[in-house]
Amino acid sequence: MLMEKGYVENGFIIDLSAAQNTTQLVGELNSIIEHPDVKQKNVCLKLGTLDLTQSQLLSIKALIESRNASIAFIDTSSEQTEASAVSLGLIISKVSDKTEGITAEIQEEQEDNYDKIVEVDSGVELPSSSPIETTEGVEDIFEEMSAQEISEIIPSESYERTDFGSLAAQEGLLPTEDSSKYILLDTGNVLPEGIEENSSSTSSLPTLYLNQTLRSGQTVNYDGNILIIGDAHPGSEIIATGDITVWGILGGIAHAGSEGNITSKVRALKLNAIQLRIAGLYARRNDTLNVPYVQKTDEFTPEEALIEDGRIVIYKKLRRD
Amino acid sequence: MTGRVIVITSGKGGVGKTTTSANIGTALAKSGYKVVLIDTDLGLRNLDLLLGLENRIVYTIVDVIEERCKLKQALVKDKKNPNLQLLAAAQTRDKTAVNAEQLKDICDKLKEKNDFVLVDCPAGIEQGFQNAVAGASEAIVVTTPEMSAIRDADRIIGLLATKEEITSTKLLLNRVRPNLIKSNEMMSVDDVVEILEIPLVGIIPEDTGIITSTNKGEPIVNDENALAGKAYRNVAQRILGEEIPFLDLDEPKGFMAKIKNVFAKLKVKV
Repeated sequence: MLMEKGYVENGFIIDLSAAQNTTQLVGELNSIIEHPDVKQKNVCLKLGTLDLTQSQLLSIKALIESRNASIAFIDTSSEQTEASAVSLGLIISKVSDKTEGITAEIQEEQEDNYDKIVEVDSGVELPSSSPIETTEGVEDIFEEMSAQEISEIIPSESYERTDFGSLAAQEGLLPTEDSSKYILLDTGNVLPEGIEENSSSTSSLPTLYLNQTLRSGQTVNYDGNILIIGDAHPGSEIIATGDITVWGILGGIAHAGSEGNITSKVRALKLNAIQLRIAGLYARRNDTLNVPYVQKTDEFTPEEALIEDGRIVIYKKLRRD
Repeated sequence: MTGRVIVITSGKGGVGKTTTSANIGTALAKSGYKVVLIDTDLGLRNLDLLLGLENRIVYTIVDVIEERCKLKQALVKDKKNPNLQLLAAAQTRDKTAVNAEQLKDICDKLKEKNDFVLVDCPAGIEQGFQNAVAGASEAIVVTTPEMSAIRDADRIIGLLATKEEITSTKLLLNRVRPNLIKSNEMMSVDDVVEILEIPLVGIIPEDTGIITSTNKGEPIVNDENALAGKAYRNVAQRILGEEIPFLDLDEPKGFMAKIKNVFAKLKVKV
């Protein structure tokens, strides 16, 4: 346990890298921040190899902020902690044990967070006694972050998805898991006669922009994409020849690619549609999820439904074509 | 086979037409009869919700009439009982999308292959009502022991009497509260029958279980323990021609029951 003064202006280093587990870490941190010196300081946290989740890191942040201090940056060698810190908008940097004084080049954080602005004067001369070094400049850090963000979006295996193909086979059985959110209806291809499947891009289609709540019995039918800012209540119907995007709770029926476009997608902040239809494929919401009223909730889990290998699959993340 | 077409109507809204349709239909299907329920409340459909079938509806009665699908395609099978099928109303259209002739045609087709066709009528006496009764040969008038509901039921019974095709009109008294009748705060069953002068087919006690069953999409007749469920099962038996005595809705009279009653009353006071 070290308490070292120096580095950034009004800064404090709290070294918790010796902690073996989270309990120990919080215990140590607690005893350190009791110290009156910590008040209103920019704290540099050394967390060592310990893996911390986002919520654990958030409580640590709250603990420090309860002393009117803030986190200047976090030094960790754990990938998980790093990821958690990045998602909380905290800066990752290194504190090294080298004794020579170095210049820390940290600028104001660009993607700022609501409650905390890390103000660190660039080019602060550190006292020679200070054992601090920032091995990476801020720009490097941001590059690293964006690379990480991209890698989070892209990996194809990490999507949580629902496979309707096998579920359709179980039709009639009560599904036991939540993975069966939508079940294909045994309607076959429902496309009207004379209309054929196609897979033209939906991004070139015109888009209808609606800023309203769709209520029971209301229908929107548009030759193109539909974007709704608001909820679509159960009993409403949205029919588009292209994509359907609902910035709100989708509770009614949504039919994307109504004229056979199998690349069409349905996405919503809360995908709770009573029926999902894409081109000629129809899927019903699982009975176990049937709630006759719209659940207003803050916990949105945006989802996207699309056709893959002749099935409707649901992704928890957006995908670009 | 020629099935019976029964319209379930009331005049006033909110007295339990749809609940009655769902429960009688389910009870008849459970007894092994082939039943089709038709929701004719276009634009304000609810029968699918009560049966928990909303997510399965692809085609509606309007699609059948406008020939976008075959009648058979539009029939949605119940989750539990394949004997029970639903022909749903369109939610995005109104009553003018259908006329009496078309509905009669559908009823005629359905009764060829089913034992019972139950038509859930919308509230009111306009086009929707005229459509719903068009194909029916029997009617069940649902009412509650309130003056307004009884007045509307009386009007409906009068209208039904002018329809030659309707050969039998029966009364179903819903949401009866025996303790209120006892304390003279509610009209008794006999009072209602005396006013309306038609034979009684069922007395359904008020049951909070109806609310949960509606929300779950599970008709209360499937609940063996619910009193209202039992009352609806009895109605189905009476429709089938059996003589079933009406439920004794008075509070239980045994010694233990009396003690329970005392506690129940205490609870209310607390």
